[in-house]
Amino acid sequence: MVRVTGNFQSESPLHPKAFDVLHAAFDSGWADPAKLSQSGAKARQLKNNALESIASALSVGVDSITPVSPTSLGYFLGIQGLFVNTPTLIHGATDRKDVFAIAAETPHHILKSSLDGKLIPANNVAKPSVLALQIANAETGVVQECDAIIASTQSERIFLDATTSGIRVPLPDQFSTALFDSKSWYGPAELGILIIKKTTHWSNPLPHLNAAHPNFDVSLPLLLASAVALENFTTEVQEAGVQARKYNQELRNAFSKVENTDIAGSLESSLAHMLSVSFLNCNGEELLRAIQNDGYSLDSGSACTADDLQPSHVLAAMGVLTHGNIRITIHPGTTQEEIDGLIKSVVSNVNRSRA
Amino acid sequence: MKEIDARGLRCPQPIIELGKEVSFMHAGDQVMLHSDDPATEPDLVAWSRMTGNVFEKKSKDSFVITKLSER
Repeated sequence: MVRVTGNFQSESPLHPKAFDVLHAAFDSGWADPAKLSQSGAKARQLKNNALESIASALSVGVDSITPVSPTSLGYFLGIQGLFVNTPTLIHGATDRKDVFAIAAETPHHILKSSLDGKLIPANNVAKPSVLALQIANAETGVVQECDAIIASTQSERIFLDATTSGIRVPLPDQFSTALFDSKSWYGPAELGILIIKKTTHWSNPLPHLNAAHPNFDVSLPLLLASAVALENFTTEVQEAGVQARKYNQELRNAFSKVENTDIAGSLESSLAHMLSVSFLNCNGEELLRAIQNDGYSLDSGSACTADDLQPSHVLAAMGVLTHGNIRITIHPGTTQEEIDGLIKSVVSNVNRSRA
Repeated sequence: MKEIDARGLRCPQPIIELGKEVSFMHAGDQVMLHSDDPATEPDLVAWSRMTGNVFEKKSKDSFVITKLSER
């Protein structure tokens, strides 16, 4: 069996401090925070502390925070909750499938992508409209020029998908709802943080008996672990970004020297820790397995690695090569040795695959 | 015009077969590619940009490729 020494997949282990908290939280945070018992009061206190900590790190009011699980539920709540009188949903061609699924049920307008992954602003979209805008792409890391797109669509109701960007990119001033993913700060998976900034724009789209702020009762230990992960990542994010940018540049420089290579988006306009690159005439699945055999785990957007055999809709929308694709995520613990080894593995396996 | 029947082949095979054929062609030559793989059309967009050639979609799974450069 090959020992995996380098993890370049989008998934990663919990932040070590969140892992410690998770154990303690299952011990002390098991009670229902809504109950009046002593253990319930303790759980309520822990929950409030976690929400205040998350609100502070995200620079939003604690009353605007709604934890949701799974994270994908946050797309429905955040977007559908803004609908009044069947609006036109404006969204990007490179959005997550969750957004496409909501758009399929309502009039919609898709913003096309240019080759660099930036969405092309659109005017004259039928009103009223709701804009669903992804701040950074989950496959390529390309960061959108949010203010320009918001200005062009003139939508009053705006949902921001911050699930990939997390705290790496500040939210634009103008929005109604926003969704974060706890994974983006190395917290537990399947825990989303929905921000409802403008309560006058939002109504609960799920069946409910009163109009009070929704409470979806997520796991308290996971919420506590997420809060601790976020608190710690807030102090690490800047340094991690500088290191990731250096490594990302090294990867791009090395891969650019390989003939017929298609890199999605520039480093200047992308998250520093993400890279998507395609190699002409290479089989993505075979490439992934060969690199895995060298000890490096990564992701791919190629059709041959997808369950439905469909190519990445993100790469297709950009006009970037969809086959022979690998996606690399640089984590805070990634070392120079791992980057050097990954470059060597990718280049040699691409050459072997083409031979 | 020469034809490549890549129906039933999955990515990246249709593009690899096309690349082989195009390497024997001269500027101005054309080839018809038949492929029902969903990745072929988006990959032809990228392939054309990367190799300096052009393609035209003729039907759901048929494309005419014109070689423009001697790459």
